Amino acid sequence: MKDVKIFQQMHRDGLMTRREFLAAMSALGLSASVASSLLVSSSALAGTPVRGGSVVMASNLHGPDDTLDPIVCTSTIDYTRQNTIHNGLIQIWDDMSLHPELAEEWSVNSNATEYMFKIRQGVEFHSGGTLSADDVVWSMNRHLGEDSPSSIKAFFANVVEWKKIDGSTVRLTLSSPDADMPIKLTQFQAKIVKQGTTDFSKGAGTGPYIVESFEPGIKSLHTRNPNYWRSTGQHLDQIEITAITDPNARLNALLSGSIDMMTVLSAKSIKQVEATDGVEVMSVPAGLYGGICCLKNTMPGQDDDFVMAMRWIQDREKIVRSFLKGHGQVGNDHPISPAYGADHCHELEQRVYDPDKAKWHLNKCGIKTAELYVAPVQGGIEETCLLMQQNLAKIGFDLKLKKVPTDGYWGAVWMVEPLNVVTWNMRPTANAMMSIQFGPGGNWNDTFWNSDRMGELLKMSLAETDPAKRHEMHCEMQTLVHNDAGMVIPYHTNVLDAVSSKMHGFSNVPLGQLGGNGWAEFAWKDA
Amino acid sequence: MAETEQTDTRMHFDELPDAPPRRKIKLSWPGKIGIVVLVFWTVIVAIGPYIAPYHEAEFLDESLFVIPGSDEMYPDTDFQPPSKIAFLGTDYLGRDTLSRILFGARTTIGISFIATIFAYLIGVTLGIAAAVGGQKLDMILSRLNDAVLSIPAIMLGLVMIAALGSTIPLLIVLTGIIYAASVFRIARSLGQDVMVSDFVEAARVRGEGLWWIIFREILPNVAMPLATDFGLRFVWVILFISALSFLGLGVQPPMSDWGSMVKENLPGLIYGSVAPLMPSLAIATLTISVNMLVDDISAHAGGKLAGRMN
Amino acid sequence: MIWRALLGRFGISIVTLWVVSVLIFIGTNLLPGDVAAILLGQMATPESLAALQAKLGMDQPGYMRYLMWLRDVSTGDLGMSKAGIAQGNASRIVDILEPRIFNTLRLTGMVAVVSIPVALALGLLAAMHPGTRLDRTVTFSTLSLISLPDFLVATFLVLIFAVQLGWLPSIAYLRGAESGWDLIKALAMPCLTLIIVVSAQMIRMTRATVLNVMSSPYIEMAILKGVPRGRIILRHALLNAIGPIVNVIALNLAWLVGGVVIVEQIFAYPGLAKLMIDAVLVRDLPLVQACAMIFCASYIVLIFIADMASIVSNPRLRHPK
Repeated sequence: MKDVKIFQQMHRDGLMTRREFLAAMSALGLSASVASSLLVSSSALAGTPVRGGSVVMASNLHGPDDTLDPIVCTSTIDYTRQNTIHNGLIQIWDDMSLHPELAEEWSVNSNATEYMFKIRQGVEFHSGGTLSADDVVWSMNRHLGEDSPSSIKAFFANVVEWKKIDGSTVRLTLSSPDADMPIKLTQFQAKIVKQGTTDFSKGAGTGPYIVESFEPGIKSLHTRNPNYWRSTGQHLDQIEITAITDPNARLNALLSGSIDMMTVLSAKSIKQVEATDGVEVMSVPAGLYGGICCLKNTMPGQDDDFVMAMRWIQDREKIVRSFLKGHGQVGNDHPISPAYGADHCHELEQRVYDPDKAKWHLNKCGIKTAELYVAPVQGGIEETCLLMQQNLAKIGFDLKLKKVPTDGYWGAVWMVEPLNVVTWNMRPTANAMMSIQFGPGGNWNDTFWNSDRMGELLKMSLAETDPAKRHEMHCEMQTLVHNDAGMVIPYHTNVLDAVSSKMHGFSNVPLGQLGGNGWAEFAWKDA
Repeated sequence: MAETEQTDTRMHFDELPDAPPRRKIKLSWPGKIGIVVLVFWTVIVAIGPYIAPYHEAEFLDESLFVIPGSDEMYPDTDFQPPSKIAFLGTDYLGRDTLSRILFGARTTIGISFIATIFAYLIGVTLGIAAAVGGQKLDMILSRLNDAVLSIPAIMLGLVMIAALGSTIPLLIVLTGIIYAASVFRIARSLGQDVMVSDFVEAARVRGEGLWWIIFREILPNVAMPLATDFGLRFVWVILFISALSFLGLGVQPPMSDWGSMVKENLPGLIYGSVAPLMPSLAIATLTISVNMLVDDISAHAGGKLAGRMN
Repeated sequence: MIWRALLGRFGISIVTLWVVSVLIFIGTNLLPGDVAAILLGQMATPESLAALQAKLGMDQPGYMRYLMWLRDVSTGDLGMSKAGIAQGNASRIVDILEPRIFNTLRLTGMVAVVSIPVALALGLLAAMHPGTRLDRTVTFSTLSLISLPDFLVATFLVLIFAVQLGWLPSIAYLRGAESGWDLIKALAMPCLTLIIVVSAQMIRMTRATVLNVMSSPYIEMAILKGVPRGRIILRHALLNAIGPIVNVIALNLAWLVGGVVIVEQIFAYPGLAKLMIDAVLVRDLPLVQACAMIFCASYIVLIFIADMASIVSNPRLRHPK
């Protein structure tokens, strides 16, 4: 391991090209994906931040629906802009640790139903005026109410009220215990904006960079906020955020130096990036997954044997090996990957590819054919479905694939067609993930599987403070989903991006692209 | 039977001095090459799937690619160079490129050909109707036609396929309708020319009915220019369908069509993989040969056809 | 007389525009999901969906929304982008269109400035020496180029000039303040692609039309009288070939305005075609309509100019029977 470090240093200091580095690593017996992950962490070794420089980041999607309004954000480009121009109460950074942001400190009562937040004083909005408790209450109240368009209002379903106690104190009252609340407040949608804002297109917050220009579907331009409350960070002079929809064009732009960072690197292109000097793969293990929903309220998903057959037919190892090029983990038919840390149930036996078992279940239920709706909602999902189709054909089952476009998919196909594909981003906690997708009667229970026991466990685990007991509860939940729900989860994929080797200072938060979309405040670029 | 019919038409032309003479077409070498390539692809359309080494959807097994003596149990199967296992290499999922081209010929050429025929059925029918029908009909059809022509074909295609789903029948009908608009223009103007020609006037004076004029005068006279235009249109339909596939709206997986094959294998280009080149080559040989043939025919037909085709 | 013709032409154009708006309206209404459902996406709930639909006026029946749109447009108001309203952006469609129109016109202009003279010159040159090696080279290379999908041409150019040689940027990314050389460099790749695609067609057309005119009796007469071939082409044939040539140029320019979806996508160029696609993807009907109207209007205007040009250049058309 010491050799590795020396090589890392050499690579960092420019004494060794990345090709030489990778060759050295393979000589040490390390696999290519491990070796390149060492390269990424080698940028963390790099010295002190440099101030200055401007960068261009290209995401994968944008359009007339780009927004700077935090509560309606749904895309990577929106999230990135949120972390660039706004602040939240609490910030998340390396290893999912929490840091005070606009809340200088916070406290919770013994049964986790009441939180007190001390609001930072003297923080200025970009548009002038000072942050007060009123702004916090107003911003957070926008997530409440049935008709709120907030994309994370499910996280705040247990909120009774946000109340201003005095100019610098806000109290949050909950109807049920929730130890996860602080981490939920780190979400992109929970940013604090100026009270009464109606036009968000100029930025409404207090963040490290201000909005110089914002053209939805084209780009936005940001410059350093001269009146920022924090004295560290803000290394870059100027940040441009745009998107290049075509994946090959995006990669070519990075390879030819037109941009400094790109989100969503296709696994097919990893080899190319690894072979090119001056660019790096960023690969962060995450809970992000692609899966197949078999609706439990209709045929064929209603039949447990059918769902079980769909699970046994997944050649998980091959999916991770061939389609993800090793940048992911096999799934175990529940969403909680090892990236969730202590809440992941490692005791649960891993399901493997077993066409005989699949055939046995199919014979038992007597279903001969089915139609699965596929949209390219996630990197490996189409390939996975094609492989599944092939393997099912070998055991005499005819799976028809119906390819549909991604736009309109969430309204017209997902949770509507009996068999469809889905992707879920990693949520900040295992409980948040499980309750959003499997909470009984929830809005996003996308297999229509309702289990009372699941509901009980979700409530209990949120209030449980003993780690061992909590793990046990999470294990039971994962086992329930693994066996009974309508979900097939063959793989979890790493968050894959690519950056110029000049860029440093990314976190390893797996909740979004490029280290949880939170790079703007702390990233820097070699001159 | 066929012979008598032919003699009939020839006689019919003989008695009308103004009708264009029928000429036997002699091809020069580009035209001959065109014919040969075209025949080749026609044969492939017929037998492609039967001579393909694998099924188009089959993932080649990793064990096929294990180098003897190597301890690597799971070598990469995607973007493999041409070899004995896969004559034209493998694609991004490790499927056989040659087999996919052979299967894809049927989809790509078949869809394009049927769509072009469909475009002609609609376009010629309506175009001639506009030429011989009243002014009102002409007005209505022409405005509708202008509207379809004035929106870029690819936009219309995108909206309609997104709305109705990308099934093969829909792809055919939609392409047919979009390209019917340009066929309509040509058929209408050719029809109008013939309508005012002396031999049609002569027929009218003789007291022939409208249908007689359409079938015995107009159609035979516009057939040749339209046949040449058919070739060009066919090429454009192939390119149009490839463009749709490129934008992700092609046929349903795991079926292969050449446009999608180029698209999905583009990341391999940078590795020097031939996977995206082979379907490109297939498209190019087909379209270039059709164009060469059309060029040759229209050169012999006096170059006048070219003036109408844009 | 000419004014009546113009007025008639204008009336027909308005009817065509209206037909297009109806077609687009029907088309977009067939798409699954409305703008509210798309924007809320995976996280929509029945309540939030209903609230957003009401905010955007989507609770009105479709024909009402169309009639209201028609009323606004007839007073010259293109309205607001629905996606913009929902997302808290400045959302006047005119403001959204302005930079896009500028971008599209700039690209179209640059392509036209190069490709039209090149195409005319090469087409004429080939026509002057039919059957020579030059003619055959031009004919075969243009024939190959019109047979290739534009995404292939674009991809190969990127691979050669951006990835292998590193001479040009692979995307047309504009930082806003470019002028002169920087601008040309930034737009070089999409321009080059479009110039190749567009010129090939125009060269073929020019050659074919000129050759066609050359075979007409009065030219044959001139040849028999011993007038040099070059002079015949430039003085007589070209004038008579202008009509069809201008027509092809007009069609190609119209395609450059709205049909360059793939080139805009490959080079990430924010033009009108990309805007319309994006607007369709979020079902922003007023924005889709606005784009379609622009495409339709530019087509009508360009074809009109082409018709005028052929009337002016052709005495027989100037005095119809």
